[in-house]
Amino acid sequence: MSEPTSASGSPAVHGELSRDLKLHHIVMMGLGMMIGAGVFVGIGLSVRGAGPGGLMLTFGLNGLIALFTAMSFAELSSAIPRAGGAYNYARIGFGRGASFIAGWTEWFASSLAGAFYAIVFAHYTLDFINAAFNLGMGADLRMGLEKALALVAAVSFIYVNYRGSSETGKLGAIFTALQMLFVVGIGVAGLVTLAKHPGRLANFKPFLTDASWPALLGTMGVIYVAFEGFEVIAQAGDETVNPKRNLPKAMLYSVLIVTVTYLTVALASVVAVHGIGGQSLSAYAEGIEANQGSFFKEAVQKLLPFGGVLVTLAVIFSATSALNATIYSATRASFALGRDGMLPTSFAKIHPRRKTPFVALAFTAVIVLTATTLLNPEHGAAAASMMFLCLFFMVNLCVIRIRLHMSDELEYGFLMPLFPLFPVLAIGCQVALAGGIFGESVPAFAVAAVWVPTGALIYLLYSRRRVPAADHEIQVLEDAPEPRGDEYRIMVSVANPANALEMVRTTYKIGGAKDARVQLLHMVPVPPQVALSDARKYMTEGREGIMETMLYLEPIFPIATTIRYCRNIARGIVSAVREKKTDLLILGWHGRKRGHTFRLGSTIDPIIERSPCSVVVLKDCGGNRTFNRVLVPVSGGPNSPYALEIASMLAETDGQVTALTIARPGQDPMDLDEFLTEHAYRLPAEHPPIRPQVVESNDVGGAILAEAADYDLVVLGCTREPLLQQVTRTSLPELIAQRCQTPLAMVKDSGGLRSWLQRWL
Amino acid sequence: MEFDAIIGCAVLAGALVALVALTVWCRRRIQHIARSTGRSARELERSLRGE
Repeated sequence: MSEPTSASGSPAVHGELSRDLKLHHIVMMGLGMMIGAGVFVGIGLSVRGAGPGGLMLTFGLNGLIALFTAMSFAELSSAIPRAGGAYNYARIGFGRGASFIAGWTEWFASSLAGAFYAIVFAHYTLDFINAAFNLGMGADLRMGLEKALALVAAVSFIYVNYRGSSETGKLGAIFTALQMLFVVGIGVAGLVTLAKHPGRLANFKPFLTDASWPALLGTMGVIYVAFEGFEVIAQAGDETVNPKRNLPKAMLYSVLIVTVTYLTVALASVVAVHGIGGQSLSAYAEGIEANQGSFFKEAVQKLLPFGGVLVTLAVIFSATSALNATIYSATRASFALGRDGMLPTSFAKIHPRRKTPFVALAFTAVIVLTATTLLNPEHGAAAASMMFLCLFFMVNLCVIRIRLHMSDELEYGFLMPLFPLFPVLAIGCQVALAGGIFGESVPAFAVAAVWVPTGALIYLLYSRRRVPAADHEIQVLEDAPEPRGDEYRIMVSVANPANALEMVRTTYKIGGAKDARVQLLHMVPVPPQVALSDARKYMTEGREGIMETMLYLEPIFPIATTIRYCRNIARGIVSAVREKKTDLLILGWHGRKRGHTFRLGSTIDPIIERSPCSVVVLKDCGGNRTFNRVLVPVSGGPNSPYALEIASMLAETDGQVTALTIARPGQDPMDLDEFLTEHAYRLPAEHPPIRPQVVESNDVGGAILAEAADYDLVVLGCTREPLLQQVTRTSLPELIAQRCQTPLAMVKDSGGLRSWLQRWL
Repeated sequence: MEFDAIIGCAVLAGALVALVALTVWCRRRIQHIARSTGRSARELERSLRGE
């Protein structure tokens, strides 16, 4: 293998971060990002909006929804354990457009979170000063001072980021440990109080406010920002010991720990309150917060000695630390967009002395300061939540896409159970939460509704032309012009000259029946060790195969050819099928299966599962064979009608097609006459007669194989859909395909809605 | 006890049980995958099914 070289031709020097972060380090990192101002502000807001029961439900359900998304992050980070997070996953899953939107969204989300933390910092600091010196500020003066202090805080941390000094890991860990200690202390004090005064459970009456369940959705949406932070763990992929195992564990553990902690703190803040007369807890919280106070602080004051001071200090510390981290994170997101050419390259400019991305920081500062000026804490939290919902929505789509298209190529350290249930649930819940935010804070919704489409517009008008496509692993070496018109398009995958000749006759028959246009495709597999520039050396064999096939087919059909190299043949073929809008893919199969994992083979299986078009796989169909007697085993499955259609095209017109069904003794056989009548419209105008045949046997596979011995060709529908394949162990069609000595064609129909979804996804 | 409270407690308990159960289930899968020889999703799913 050749040495990697730099642009100047000299050997490149690769730096590598040392892997010294263990599981507990990265769990603490996630907790540190999550436990912060969000929960302290969220408790008061939830009690007011949804009631004491709503408060518990807000944290419990949000924790579950966060876990669904954490599972997506966990799976992706175990397979792609590199720094970059959502930006990286979107690039791999959907390409440059999606990765731009992910980076663009992350930039804004982090900036809004920064603004939110600045506002919270100012609110609590002023509260502390007001109480300590008994200043008795009026509401207007206080509001003005709060804005000014928030801006000063934001500017200070923008300057800190400009200077390049950031809190060290050790200091961050101490802050996190102190915050955890504080919230756990509140939780324990709450549980002790409840044990002493079980009557305080009466504070849960009424469980929800009058606005009831819809209000709960609103508070859940606004408070979702308190669960943002676990995704930062993915950024530590390059520095973590055993990242494939520890990254997913850390994400899941941190969401579980934080949810249980939040619930305990929420319970403590409800049972802490006493002596409020007949007033409901939500009315009590409303009264406190209407006077610029904090319900959570009042509750903790009743629970712990010096509780009010402790809350203020905890919020100030957590907001400070989160403000610094979010400005850093937002700057890094916009810097990455500039570095990759998606935003002007000046975004990637590094200050010569400070070594910090000062242009990216300046633009981030504009967003943070504008949001700090315009938003109040609730709108700030809602806007940040909304943007993170957009980001997580995309990651949940990415996990589905990457599992469907690249799962055979990636090395996973974690696979979520019941795929794709949880990402689909997460997407549904995120849409509902976005709806809830719309009910609570229209400005937050409007901010997202403007920012994301603006990003899409910038990408279309500016970034798209400047960034190369992300398809590094498939390269077109030779390509015929795109065929025009609506003709039926057949793609023939040519592996070598022998395989090419095998498929000529079949292509001729089907192409003639469909009046089709034929595209010959040769994929050149290039091992990862070989440089992409050397791929052309592998072209000769593929070109020979294509020339051979063209010799026979070109006088009959319009033929185009394409040769591409790729790292993975299956993905290369599926990608070509999509790109060329192919209706039918024909490929050959050697008939041998390697290992127990795949049904037909590691290349054929993914192609059958992922191709949005119809597929015909041929085994031993070469030479000058004529198919007079064709057998079609029919079981009523989704591919049986298509098997019948292909069989009637491949059989000689003076031959015969037999539709065979196997009935177990004592059971009613399938009604073949009805099946044939129902699907008669699919058969070509001139087709051989079709004879129904019923055989009684307990051994379905054995009976079909015994019958097949008397035929020239067997056409078999593929087994059911991949999702169901995951829960079934045996597959009869594939078993027959392996054992059958007669020439065989396995077929899969394009499948309507599923095919449309596949094309889209 | 009011109706909302009954439903709310049930939902909360369900969410908590699901949260803990899913975390434990995922942890077991991570451990199993770490021990298994397969690496691609298909190989791992098969080995997890045979667990």
